[in-house]
Amino acid sequence: MSRFPRFLKTGGPFLGLLLVCALFALTEEREFIFTGGNLKNILTQTVIVAMGALGMTLIIIGGGIDLSVGSVVAFCGVLGAKLLVAGWSPIATMLVLAAAGCGIGLVNGAIVAGFRMMPFIVTLGMMGIVRGAAKWLGNNQTVNAPPDSPVGQLMARVNPGEFWPLPWGVWIVLGLAVVMAVLLRRTVFGRHVFAIGANETAARYSGVRVAQVKLATYAIAGLLFGFAGLLQMSRLTQGDPTVAIGLELDIIAAVVIGGASLNGGAGSILGSMIGALIMALLRNGTNQLGWQTFTQEIIIGVVIVLAVGLDRWRQARGGK
Amino acid sequence: MHSPLRALSIGFALLASVLTSPAADKSYTIAVIPKGTTHEFWKSIHAGAVKAEQELAAKGTKVTLFWKGPLREDDRDQQIQVVENFTARKVSGIVLAPLDSQALVAPVVSAVQSGVPTVVIDSDLKSDKQLSFVSTDNFKGGQMAGEFLAKQLGGQGNVILLRYQVGSASTEAREAGFLDALKKFSGIKIVSSDQHSGATRELAYQASQNLLNRFGKDVNGIFCPNESGTVAMTKALRDIGRAAGKVKLVGFDSGSQSVLDLKNGDVQGLIVQDPLKMGYLGVMTVVQHLQGKPVEKRIDTGVSLITKENMAEPGMAALLAPPIAKYLKE
Repeated sequence: MSRFPRFLKTGGPFLGLLLVCALFALTEEREFIFTGGNLKNILTQTVIVAMGALGMTLIIIGGGIDLSVGSVVAFCGVLGAKLLVAGWSPIATMLVLAAAGCGIGLVNGAIVAGFRMMPFIVTLGMMGIVRGAAKWLGNNQTVNAPPDSPVGQLMARVNPGEFWPLPWGVWIVLGLAVVMAVLLRRTVFGRHVFAIGANETAARYSGVRVAQVKLATYAIAGLLFGFAGLLQMSRLTQGDPTVAIGLELDIIAAVVIGGASLNGGAGSILGSMIGALIMALLRNGTNQLGWQTFTQEIIIGVVIVLAVGLDRWRQARGGK
Repeated sequence: MHSPLRALSIGFALLASVLTSPAADKSYTIAVIPKGTTHEFWKSIHAGAVKAEQELAAKGTKVTLFWKGPLREDDRDQQIQVVENFTARKVSGIVLAPLDSQALVAPVVSAVQSGVPTVVIDSDLKSDKQLSFVSTDNFKGGQMAGEFLAKQLGGQGNVILLRYQVGSASTEAREAGFLDALKKFSGIKIVSSDQHSGATRELAYQASQNLLNRFGKDVNGIFCPNESGTVAMTKALRDIGRAAGKVKLVGFDSGSQSVLDLKNGDVQGLIVQDPLKMGYLGVMTVVQHLQGKPVEKRIDTGVSLITKENMAEPGMAALLAPPIAKYLKE
């Protein structure tokens, strides 16, 4: 393997981030964009996509996809708000949300692995089911969480003008990112996920228990999506059954920009985190430059296509 | 693995220390944040804001406007991000039409604490930190719609209320006002009042078709509390041949299509606000405050009932077709 593609593999997303930073550094608004307070903004705005991307990276590396994440976020947000209103403790609420997300993931995984159905179709169905369930649970309305609940503080920006302290949500995502990176790179399970994503048949013949690994993949990802729901609720201070429509696409984009291949077998947690950061930074910077909304959409679209183009090129070179 | 992250944070810290020196001149930068940008209603707000900008410029006060909606029309999280980003941008003031009365509280409080005064327009916010609330009395508008529809129906008939969207305070107040006014009429039966049209015209069209499929033969009167719902419902009524007054339709807000529908008799009445005035007063109120003058906590911008008969009167015509082109170059 030559050095160049290897460098691109870890450095590509990072280079992209530097490029975006450099572009904004050329503008007159840099004095507002590159401040501690705004960096905190960007990190806070990245949290929910990043949390989803942790789970999605695992699934995509394993050759799957999960379109239900936006719905799971909405469902868990509504569920969490209802539990808090009913007087549940924050810890209990958090555990129930993790269990709910994990449960939905288990169902996804069981159908994908058990019936060998395409993950795209299974999770597309689940996207509708869970979105509907969220609206039903919330009685078609937003559920306001108690304003003084500690859960509401997870995403609160104390001292908004300064970098410190960072909201708890940022630390939670960073901590879980380390856990996920270790899980993927340093454990047998992680190697099996890569093996299945690269070539499922070969993995099966080598003795990997494909069905079990897939089931675990979707369950772990679901758990993370449940946490994302908790953080989304904290940010809005309410459970909103209509929130996070299209979030799955933002998350998939972050993972892909981060160097994962939708064919499976490639991707990294660090890359996905940087991918999520790039998207938040683009949105934040173009906001402050006063660019119109449609330019943001176009730019993010271009970035996705460029990132995937880079991925194909890298694969072509890496194959030789 | 950690070195790129560290390099990044050091880079940021360096840039931050080199570049933090806020420009201090006497001109104001004001961010106007609507709920969305595609509805004509928001274009009128934009025109009003530009009108204020031009008038202030004529008086020697330079105002730079940022006009910025959330990336996705009805996404609360995205609107929170826009408020946060402009707070970090250290604009002189923010004029905000909040997508949700609760979800936007935290970012507004944080903006005010950071020294960015914020005027709320159009929809209310459950907070007392905003400088002022400039809007239509939506409950009154809803009552007006209810009374007019009841009069059109002669106090008898089946009525549909197609709601707009969960959590939108302005439309919920109109819906409540509408239902309140109809209480007085015992001959009127509300056959459906629990459906929501959603944010886009396409979603509203689908919801209208579905409702009419169920109730189309029995319904006599309909109220839609926003522009996209009104236009979509009119279209759905035309599709099944129940437009042109066979079913009385009262809408809220005006756009080029709904004005045409009013002229053609497919819509019997439109309750209109004065969005241009709202955008105008929103910006003016912030600037007044920045100049050290006192401002009122609540500013009502008024509602009017427009029918085919009075739509040609000059005052009404200006409300129906706000002079957007005069202020916005499109």
